[in-house]
Amino acid sequence: MSLVRRVLDSSALYRLIALAIFATIWQLATLSHKSMLIPTFTDTMAAIPKLLIPGYSGDESAKLWDALYQSNGALLIGFAISVALGVPFGLLIGRFRTIERFANLYISILLVTPMAAVIPLLVMSLGVRDGAMPTRVILIVLFAIVMLIVNSRAGIRQIDPSLIEMARCFGAGELSIWRRILLPGSLPAIMTGVRLGLGRAITGMVIIELLFIAVGLGNLIQKYDAQLDGARLYALIIIVVFEALVLIQAVRWLERRVTPWRKTTSFGR
Amino acid sequence: MIEIKGVSKAFPGRKGSEPVQALKDVDLIVRDNEFLTVLGPSGCGKTTLLRVIAGLVPHDTGTVLVDGKPVTGPGPERAMVFQSFALMPWDNVLTNVAFGLEMQGVDKKTRELKALELIEMVGLGGFEKRLPGELSGGMQQRVGLARALAVSPKVLLMDEPFGALDEQTRRLLQEELLRIWEATRTTVVFITHSMEEAVLLGDRVVLMRPRPGRIDQILDIPMTRPRSTHLDSVESSGEFTAMVGLLWNNLRAMHSDVRRARQAGQAAATKP
Amino acid sequence: MATVAPTPARVASPGFISRLEAWPTVTSFIVLVGGWELIGRSLNQPFFPPLSSVLNELAINQAEIMAALGTSLTNLVLGFIVSVVFGVGLGLLMGAFRKLDAALDIYINALLTAPSLVFAPIFFAIWGLERWSIVAVIFMYSTWIMVVNTVTAVRTVSPEMLEMGRAFNAPRIKTWTRIVLPAATPLIMAGIRLATGRAVKGMLNGEMFIAIVGLGKLVKDGSGRFDASLVLAILVVIIVVAFIALWVVGWVDARLTRWLPKTSR
Ligand SMILES: Nc1ncnc2c1ncn2[C@@H]1O[C@H](COP(=O)(O)OP(=O)(O)OP(=O)(O)O)[C@@H](O)[C@H]1O
Ligand SMILES: [Mg+2]
Repeated sequence: MSLVRRVLDSSALYRLIALAIFATIWQLATLSHKSMLIPTFTDTMAAIPKLLIPGYSGDESAKLWDALYQSNGALLIGFAISVALGVPFGLLIGRFRTIERFANLYISILLVTPMAAVIPLLVMSLGVRDGAMPTRVILIVLFAIVMLIVNSRAGIRQIDPSLIEMARCFGAGELSIWRRILLPGSLPAIMTGVRLGLGRAITGMVIIELLFIAVGLGNLIQKYDAQLDGARLYALIIIVVFEALVLIQAVRWLERRVTPWRKTTSFGR
Repeated sequence: MIEIKGVSKAFPGRKGSEPVQALKDVDLIVRDNEFLTVLGPSGCGKTTLLRVIAGLVPHDTGTVLVDGKPVTGPGPERAMVFQSFALMPWDNVLTNVAFGLEMQGVDKKTRELKALELIEMVGLGGFEKRLPGELSGGMQQRVGLARALAVSPKVLLMDEPFGALDEQTRRLLQEELLRIWEATRTTVVFITHSMEEAVLLGDRVVLMRPRPGRIDQILDIPMTRPRSTHLDSVESSGEFTAMVGLLWNNLRAMHSDVRRARQAGQAAATKP
Repeated sequence: MATVAPTPARVASPGFISRLEAWPTVTSFIVLVGGWELIGRSLNQPFFPPLSSVLNELAINQAEIMAALGTSLTNLVLGFIVSVVFGVGLGLLMGAFRKLDAALDIYINALLTAPSLVFAPIFFAIWGLERWSIVAVIFMYSTWIMVVNTVTAVRTVSPEMLEMGRAFNAPRIKTWTRIVLPAATPLIMAGIRLATGRAVKGMLNGEMFIAIVGLGKLVKDGSGRFDASLVLAILVVIIVVAFIALWVVGWVDARLTRWLPKTSR
């Protein structure tokens, strides 16, 4: 009885049902309307191991892993730079309102600017030679940094002011206040920023490669698209989405590790 | 001893409105080893007065002396207990209690020893590794109290420390505070909204009135010490009831003054 | 409990339009304009023209830009309306039915975090170069954040309020219209605000990558000719469009959530 209950209550069951429904619709729709570009669900699933497992289907997986390596290299460096610059800047404007008042306009512009329109300019000025590593890194920074700035700022702002007052009361100077109150207090929001920023960095990585600098994963997507190889194209898209999810889950895990005092969210009771 | 002479403090009002006179010409002497309670309607400047003594906000005019030295900022001889507890959620009880000593540069071993002693004193022995989020409100305020006591202050400043607690927990903590105070005799300035609490705990009650915030009168509380051992009989004594009645009469008069002033203001505003 | 509980996006909500203060903003604006002009002139590089030549370009191509703007705005408005209806609607349903939420939450999160542009080939395959391809890209960019915020908004309505409704015997429909929806509005609007910025980006990306039309086409043309002035001119137009769109949403938000205390904005 209780086992039945538990199965009925578990999200996993409903997730699986949703997936099954989706897959069935996909399969039936593609079987009834044959299209060059949209493969069946089963074909797509069959293509995933071909792309992923070395030696499973010729040297195909080598291409994928090469692409993953190339794309993620720029992602890693670009994202690290974004964190290193964005977090301190966000914290600073969160603490010192005067700086913030003047920075707000630029942050707003950065938030709404579609990077896709900026990419051509940067490509023009920085060039695309040798896989264009620096260009890609700079673009990824532009994509990700604003999330880190905005969330770090919010992190400082939502700190209970009575904690700062308390620290001052016990004789803490600005340095101690930063070390003992502001940094730990804003850590949860900083981690949210890291997670959202990582999402943006991945988006940036794919857009850049897809639209402007044909290397890595984007290049591979374009190639399968041009070859009208639907199964591989969609298998690859699923792999990219999956990578994004894995990375973001990793950040969530880290988030829980570094902020153990945060109450576990009551969401989704 | 705390000597407050002619202290005024105004806050800039919101855009377009007048500045708020939170304190006006306040004179007050807090004697050594005294338990002084401060009572008054909301917005009469109680918190502001306490923050001025703590050195958290500068006052506009007048002088505030603690043991003869003018207050220019927070100092180690004054410690504060906050209504919202103000515990660091990321640090355990031990680290929270040791915070004041840490800020004074006391080495880790010494400060943790001292902190443990106080955790024991406020009845939290065994909880030193817990995070504040895992404690009840009453326990959290015990941590707040221990943290303030850990720096061995000459003056303990408390702003409605039990205001956020339920009646029963408040009662336990009042008893605890009195017990500790009777043992240490630290000078205490204790703000409260509760007439009963003001009488139960204090040697004297300062009654404040609003707009502008100022001292209305200071009343001596006749009940003898120590009280912590028999709070119930203190509360059922005639002296206690008379004192609370007196305070309520004063406060009720203040409230109707405020209402009359507001109505007068409204009438003036509606006139063409 | 749920490991992939969607995150309410309040933290990063760009409610910045209301946060821009007059004098510092004017100062920053002057610095931006002046700095751009000066750096552009002294750099003297084709890829970073001074502001004056960008504005000049804007004037020269006025007719063409206005036409493209019309096309793009139509795409944007269509896509955004579809997204709001679907996003808020699905969010409300998921908020109301726990099992639906359990079934869909991880997929919604996957769609939210995945680079939306990778779905472009799918739309291209279905609609080809038609307008609906772009509408679909805008949809992919802006819908999921609204779903996530709406679910959270519904779930975080205070239990006391719901209990109050029950105590007064409010029928389910009334509970929704009088309690849940009003209480959820601030967070839902925060989601819509975030979605606005994303929709503008979706519009441009869709126009640059799938069906080459509107402002996206001009950017693509400009960069193809290495004409940085034109690209920057379009960029300025897009930023202005985004600011106006955000201002409109902010205005609606302020009207709908008048009852909120100022400090929690
Ligand atoms: N930082 C501040 N800025 C502007 N006005 C303030 C500030 N702090 C206090 N005030 C104003 O000063 C007056 C006195 O405030 P205070 O907090 O000292 O009152 P209080 O007696 O502690 O009230 P309560 O009993 O509600 O805690 C109030 O009118 C309040 O609005
Ligand atoms: Mg107060």
